[in-house]
Amino acid sequence: MADRVERLTNLLALLLETRRPLTLHEIASELESQYPDAGQARRAAFERDKAALREIGVEISTETFGGDRAGEMGYRIERSSFELPDLGLTDAEVRALQVALAATRPDSAIGEEALLKLGGVGGGVGGPIRMHLPELPALPILRSAVAQRHPVTFRYSGNVRKVEPWGLLLRDGFWYVVGFDQDRGARRTFRVDRCEGEVAVDSAIVFEPPADGDVGAALPTNPLLLGDEVAAEREAVVHIAARRAWLVEREIGSERILVRHDDGSITTGLPFTNEDALRSWVLGFLDDAELLEPVDVRDRLIEWLRAAV
Amino acid sequence: MAQRPATERLRRLLIILPWLMERGEVSVDEVAERFSVGVDDLIRDLELVSMCGLPPYVDEMIDVFIDEGMIFVGIPRLFTRPLRLSEVEAFELLAAGRAAMQLPGADLDGALARGLGKIAMGLGEDDTGLLVVAPTPVIVQELSEVIKNRQRIEVRYQSSKDVAPTDRLLEPFVVFSSQGNWYTHAHDVSAAGLRTFRIDRIESLTVIGQAENEAPDSMPEPGIWFADAEIERVTLRVAPRGRWIYERYPVDEVSSPDADGWVEVRLAVTSRQWLERLLLRLGDAVEVVDPSSMRVARSEAADRVLSRYSVKD
Repeated sequence: MADRVERLTNLLALLLETRRPLTLHEIASELESQYPDAGQARRAAFERDKAALREIGVEISTETFGGDRAGEMGYRIERSSFELPDLGLTDAEVRALQVALAATRPDSAIGEEALLKLGGVGGGVGGPIRMHLPELPALPILRSAVAQRHPVTFRYSGNVRKVEPWGLLLRDGFWYVVGFDQDRGARRTFRVDRCEGEVAVDSAIVFEPPADGDVGAALPTNPLLLGDEVAAEREAVVHIAARRAWLVEREIGSERILVRHDDGSITTGLPFTNEDALRSWVLGFLDDAELLEPVDVRDRLIEWLRAAV
Repeated sequence: MAQRPATERLRRLLIILPWLMERGEVSVDEVAERFSVGVDDLIRDLELVSMCGLPPYVDEMIDVFIDEGMIFVGIPRLFTRPLRLSEVEAFELLAAGRAAMQLPGADLDGALARGLGKIAMGLGEDDTGLLVVAPTPVIVQELSEVIKNRQRIEVRYQSSKDVAPTDRLLEPFVVFSSQGNWYTHAHDVSAAGLRTFRIDRIESLTVIGQAENEAPDSMPEPGIWFADAEIERVTLRVAPRGRWIYERYPVDEVSSPDADGWVEVRLAVTSRQWLERLLLRLGDAVEVVDPSSMRVARSEAADRVLSRYSVKD
């Protein structure tokens, strides 16, 4: 039997060159004796080849004939969906992409292949500053849906969510998809690593993105202001021991320091909406921090600690 | 040697052919190296596709021949352009590019931004759809200068196990962010080995001379420093609302959830204090399973913190 690469190459060439869709019968007679003669075996071999080409990124378009050949299927490959258009990338731009990959996704086989397609090479060394990008199977699908403005459906916390995705946001090491939740009728933010199962894309629909769909604004920078519940913003007053004062000052900024005590400790004022996040932050300092106000939150924190004793 | 799968060979060929056609004449060795294929595999596959053709066979479909280690390409006809970027490849490039743009000192000449714009345009999109927010502490920039100049520094560092900061001599060779935190990999002169340090725990930094140790060839994978068998392990039982533990920290293993969604997690604990913080923050969403000596860690810590509130019972 001939090498499979030969048959696949011939099939590719034939379906790219043809001016009209070809039936399987026509394909088999053009590729003389490369497909089995028997109808069923021929169909099975062709389906396997179609799947193999799809695996490397080649979509064979299928159409059903009308008229005297009604019901018969025709196949071809659209050159525009097959070929990479000339992107006009300069050598410097391709090299910049290579450096970017080396700094964020070293050893990525996919990235290397993409660079080769663009005329570059993989490998290379990132600079002294790098960032690790978390990898998730849903990300490429979601990104395409964002860019092409198609709604997506996925399971999240046990519920099915239908979302018009406005953007993908990477922050604090997690990817978020930000968009309009159709069932809840409001903007929502979802952790992509918590989307369960497959993400389905409704490519028949193109949604209109909002004028103010600022993805970056969807997540407040202060974790103490994060949370699903919309609570009124309050101020917490926290005393921090001297040996942790510099860490806290760097984290929250000097403008949030209310008092600098003689022993080097500080009293800070922090805006918060999320009481759980505030408690978690304060307890992260163990006995080097004390929540002074609000008194009701302090009382609940004391209760929390008593329950842990 | 087993033959590589047909799809993999064809995929590679479809990248190699357009590149060859643009050049016309290239050595076999250069192509094999650039595209990471064996010389024999390359020759066999190129000879194979040069035999491909469709009736009536008036001209060669892929006009390639090999002679004395050189590949010659005739008239380019088919496969003159690479395959378009797949969804996954596009993501890989765009995400890497958008992330790299956030790094200090990145893309001073704007080439990366232009390249990303062209790729998005080629996909028929007006935007990458991606936003990366990675605030960089000032010290990251300082450390990158230290690395470029191959310097030795003294840092005041608050480790998670020490009560107070300690002074260390370091020769850093890379700064990186992972899961929202910034780290530096450095040669720790006093420990005479490679260590990883969290940047937000560096209180101060002073350059004290030139580095004496060579930077290692490769950078460890994130989390690898926790793989050290010397570090103590604990097994925790964690409720669903405490799952950020195993999403955020490197873990050895996570069991499948029980009926209520609780899982058992085994992870490295760098210090008692670290574990205490975790246990206090999570409250009843976590229990220590093993070692039993750690089961009292939460109540002891809670007791200590309560005494801070002068309400010890």
